[in-house]
Amino acid sequence: MRIFTKSIIIFLLLTINNLNANENSERNEITKNLRCLICQGQSVYDSDSDFANSMKILVDKKLDDGLSKKEIYIYFKEKYGDWILYDPGINKNTYLLWLLPILIFLFGGAIIVKSFILKK
Amino acid sequence: MIYSVVGHYSLILGLCAGLILIFFSIQNFKNTNQLDTKILSFSFLQLFFVLISFLSLIISFVISDFSNETVFNNSHTTKPLFYKISGTWGNHEGSLLLWLLVLTLFIFIFLLRTKNQPIKYKILTLGFQQVIIIGFFLFLIQTSNPFNYVFPVPEEGLGLNPILQDPALAIHPPILYLGYVGSSIIFSSALAATTLKMISTSWAVHIKKWVLISWIFLTLGILLGSIWAYYELGWGGFWFWDPVENVSLMPWLALTTLLHCILVLERKEILTSWVIILSIATFTLSMCGTFLVRSGILNSVHTFANDPERGLFILIFLFALIFLSLFIFFFFHQNSKDNSSNFFWLSKETSILVNNWFMMYFLSVVLIGTVYPIFLDVISSQKISVGPPFYHKLIAPFLIPFLFAMAIGPRLKWIRSDFKDKIYLISLLIISISISFFIVKNFNTNILINTILISSALYLFFITLRDFFNKKYKNFAQNTAHFGFSLLILSILFNNLFSSEIITNLKVGETYDNSKTKIVFESINQKKEKNYKSIIANFYISNSEGINNNLSPELRIYNQPNITTSEADIKTTLMKDKFIVINLVQNQDYFNVRYQVKPFMMWIWLSVVMISLGGLVSFLQKRI
Repeated sequence: MRIFTKSIIIFLLLTINNLNANENSERNEITKNLRCLICQGQSVYDSDSDFANSMKILVDKKLDDGLSKKEIYIYFKEKYGDWILYDPGINKNTYLLWLLPILIFLFGGAIIVKSFILKK
Repeated sequence: MIYSVVGHYSLILGLCAGLILIFFSIQNFKNTNQLDTKILSFSFLQLFFVLISFLSLIISFVISDFSNETVFNNSHTTKPLFYKISGTWGNHEGSLLLWLLVLTLFIFIFLLRTKNQPIKYKILTLGFQQVIIIGFFLFLIQTSNPFNYVFPVPEEGLGLNPILQDPALAIHPPILYLGYVGSSIIFSSALAATTLKMISTSWAVHIKKWVLISWIFLTLGILLGSIWAYYELGWGGFWFWDPVENVSLMPWLALTTLLHCILVLERKEILTSWVIILSIATFTLSMCGTFLVRSGILNSVHTFANDPERGLFILIFLFALIFLSLFIFFFFHQNSKDNSSNFFWLSKETSILVNNWFMMYFLSVVLIGTVYPIFLDVISSQKISVGPPFYHKLIAPFLIPFLFAMAIGPRLKWIRSDFKDKIYLISLLIISISISFFIVKNFNTNILINTILISSALYLFFITLRDFFNKKYKNFAQNTAHFGFSLLILSILFNNLFSSEIITNLKVGETYDNSKTKIVFESINQKKEKNYKSIIANFYISNSEGINNNLSPELRIYNQPNITTSEADIKTTLMKDKFIVINLVQNQDYFNVRYQVKPFMMWIWLSVVMISLGGLVSFLQKRI
């Protein structure tokens, strides 16, 4: 059993060593969060349309200019509206969106805990 | 022409059979010595009529009968036969007819295969199912008749959307529908059992088979859709948290929860109300999905035509069904209070409760994420996007305790349990954490949550893996499914962390070279098919490990309708996929080349297959 587990671990480590970490990751992270406005449900990162390609160049340029991730998002938001960002962020429009699932989770937990307390 | 007439009238006859069946059911219900043979024959007749109607539509497509509006809108004479046939359900009308066919098929099988259950229950289930069937008949005939005429008869059809001209179209919708519609049987049966106050362990044993069938098909249907979205460009990869993907995931989550509850109900009469609610929810969510997709509220390739009338019909029908089921639930259901619902906090029951708790949370995340933007748009006309980052943020942290619970839960005993072989459990935990720490540190993706998430998935992986070789441990079905799930999470995470890509512009004869990879653009071929012209680019790719591949992505210019699509070429191996796409750069002889290496893709598919295999094993197992 021990040998088996060990061999699995060694195998995993070997395969992992062959993998390459993603290089220009900040640019990818940003473009993955931008909606390709002319596509049907696709991010700028995934799309190869002209629109997406020019957006990628624009993001590169903004990064070269020294803008942070946040500033780039704000730039695009002002230009195209909230619609362009896949991450809705927390603001007055989205409090409910973020909080409701959490509240449901807490509520569910409360029901389970209560059922145990009631039994005793 | 003649086939449209045959098809149309068989639909009407099928509807009549439905009404007659309701009449017989009521009669038979009063006098219940045995099941009226007429009921069985009329169910068969209904299935037969729908089948005839469906076959007529297929024939209309095969012979390109453009006097039929559906054929005219979605077919073309130059389309290959294969897509003429599968194009039958590649449109709104045809897919609904397929839905109806599966509905009638399932209730017929249900009547045939259900033995040892009270006659009243069978009749009542049939009755509820007929309500759904008749609703769909009316919907089909009223708002989306597949057999409408076009006059004068056009010479040529408008053609099928090229994106849908894919082998996956032949199999993805039917498999998914088997899953969706299977949930309708669970719905009807739960309502019937509630009305007759027979929600019990024996009912659970009986309905479990149906839950498993729909669950297996739904899982495979989602998998097929995911594979299709992976290689089809423009759909955002294998899973993009797109609303259409979400609407198939929601019934799956509800069904998976139901499956686990049924496991408890099989042994003890607890959680009865919860099981009923879940049965209702699963089917309602399937219907909701149809509504959201077909009404044109969500825009996607599944939205064949935006017709508010259709949306309204489904919405009314949906509310009627919800109202009916709530009425039955509140008036007929009695919670068995006296029953011994006492179990220790550390027991299998608790672990299943925890499963339910988390699954409902995931369901609520997906549901709220999908419908919230729609409501916000209606109320304040503010458009927001809720995309992958939202789901990742809300789901990933909760996945960690969930995965640990999945590892430990099945090892607990019913009613009361304590931890055995603690040392073993803890040592595996330490191994998992150290491996994932090594992985994440080595590739300086310095995110804490990745480490913990990989640890928890690895933990589940090791525990389930070891249990395969543990003779004392008998639940092979559960173990397979849980093992598959751990593998799925690991593959997705590794795929996400270690994918790499090269984007460049190349012209024929040019070479791209960085230290690791060399891409040679060798040549271009042109090919002419019946329904499209294609430009095939040939690439020779070698990497530092000395592995060479020839890849040939394609650009297709379809004639009917005139659309250019880009077809990726994918070299699949066990450990990684090599994925290459080309696109035209405007007014130049350069091509935009995108080359991606995606590790563990194969394992994502394999692990989902393994998950459904777990379901299949459980389905075939005799109850111990």
